[in-house]
Amino acid sequence: MRRELRAVLVRALAYGLVLELMLVAAVLYWPQFRDNVPAILRLVPGKVMGGMVAAMASKGAQGYVIFQHFFKGCHLLGGAAAAIFAASAVAGEVHRGTLEIWLALPFSRLRLLSERYVAGLLAVVVPIVATSTSIPWLLSFVKEDASVGPWFTASLHESTFLAALYSATFLVSALGSHPTAIAFGALLVMVLEFALYLVMEATHASFYRLADIEDFTRIFDRGALDASVILPLAAFSLLCFAGAQIAFARRVP
Amino acid sequence: METPRAPNDRRIVARGLTRRFGDKVALHPTDLDLGPGRIIGLLGPNGSGKSTLLRTLLGLVRPDAGSASIDGVRLRGDGTAVRRRVTYAPGEIALHGERTGRDQLDWLLRGRGPEARRKATAIAADFALPLAKRVRTYSHGMKRQLLLAAALAPDVGVRILDEATEGLDPTRRGEVLQRLAADAARGTTILLSSHHLSEVDRACDALVFLADGRKIAEDSAAAVAERARRLVRMTFGDEAETAQVAARLATFPGAQLRVDGTRVSVRLDAGDPHAFLASVLSSPGLPRPRAIALGELSLAELYREVYGVEGC
Repeated sequence: MRRELRAVLVRALAYGLVLELMLVAAVLYWPQFRDNVPAILRLVPGKVMGGMVAAMASKGAQGYVIFQHFFKGCHLLGGAAAAIFAASAVAGEVHRGTLEIWLALPFSRLRLLSERYVAGLLAVVVPIVATSTSIPWLLSFVKEDASVGPWFTASLHESTFLAALYSATFLVSALGSHPTAIAFGALLVMVLEFALYLVMEATHASFYRLADIEDFTRIFDRGALDASVILPLAAFSLLCFAGAQIAFARRVP
Repeated sequence: METPRAPNDRRIVARGLTRRFGDKVALHPTDLDLGPGRIIGLLGPNGSGKSTLLRTLLGLVRPDAGSASIDGVRLRGDGTAVRRRVTYAPGEIALHGERTGRDQLDWLLRGRGPEARRKATAIAADFALPLAKRVRTYSHGMKRQLLLAAALAPDVGVRILDEATEGLDPTRRGEVLQRLAADAARGTTILLSSHHLSEVDRACDALVFLADGRKIAEDSAAAVAERARRLVRMTFGDEAETAQVAARLATFPGAQLRVDGTRVSVRLDAGDPHAFLASVLSSPGLPRPRAIALGELSLAELYREVYGVEGC
């Protein structure tokens, strides 16, 4: 168990570190971005992208960091982490033939799967929360004021969004036996959904609409989570987890 | 049909245990009452249902019908309560190659307590396993021994070992069987599956034989050995001679005949095989056999002769 926890910790630390480095670079670039917003607006292609930059510009450093950290860093890196961590959860054991020794442990399947689900989920979301709460401190280097509270709340929204992606991939892993194919499949869906997000006519069909700049801006304006978004996302995650439990209960070595 | 049980009885009991995979019946209704404190060989050729039976007993595969109890605990749900009282070494060797031997042992012994870990480390040392090295560097036999170390360490009443000696060299196999015998002498019940009867027959107190998902025999090892002693095999020069002998022997009371090419195998229900052989050899007009095997048959051959099942 200690070895498993250590492995989860190493993965979380590695991906959290990359996320933090991306954040540092983005925050340090803020003064130049701020000074070049009109030029950037002229260069950005497409209405959706233009709208994103305009939204960023209207909210100052807050909007800029929301885009850089949540929409770019967390969606990109967090999404990849969610796909990779979840894909190997059960399918990885099946693929290498170790499902039998895992199932033979003196624990219930409910416990075995729950442990794995929670470990992977924490590895995905803890770095999101940790890096997000470092934003006010980082912003102080570019002479911007911010408090931890709203960033923490926003990180919970992002975490709930990524948890849904993680849970959906986890369900597929509980059903499948090829972790690499599952991870690539999940990443492909994410890329397609992101492409859909950028198309004006189809943008509302993309699940990235559930965690875009407008959503985060609303959280900052209200100072609270948007229950109409995160409750369905949380319910979806729970549903996927329940489905994974049912699938896992039926698996044979 | 409920299985009789008593707490910590160190028995393996099954009543009508059945498992299907789609249309295929992998395990026909099977009854068992094994133990306590014995080594029971579960024997049969590949695909005979041994692993399915073991996995079903442990709850790794849910039975479609029937019931089972191990060490007085009834098999329910996913079998967690049973697995707490049993250790298991699977037949198929697949481990986490990226882990060191020590980490893999720790992982296999999750939920078993620190004493089991200490004991497993000691057993692994006896097997000369390099626990600091990654499992991916281990040979097939070393991986088998690592699984055995984990299965033999915890203090439980029942151990279920699937193909436990497969892939081990004869010396190590002997050591493992000795260790199992000592464990059984302390009261542990060991169900040991193998498709090579000759690998385990010396160690077993009783033998259960499966073929095509059915239990076809269950007997004490001594009784099986006694039956082996009452098998006579004669080889003749050609098939005409063989047919002539077979026709004559068919009239002998209490002799079950099996003809295979130029070979005639005779299983005597009772009596002295020497006397039978003497009467055959002294019968006028019967051709002389080229070779005679008497009381020399291995148990594998015995099963082939008695049950007509190849492959063990």
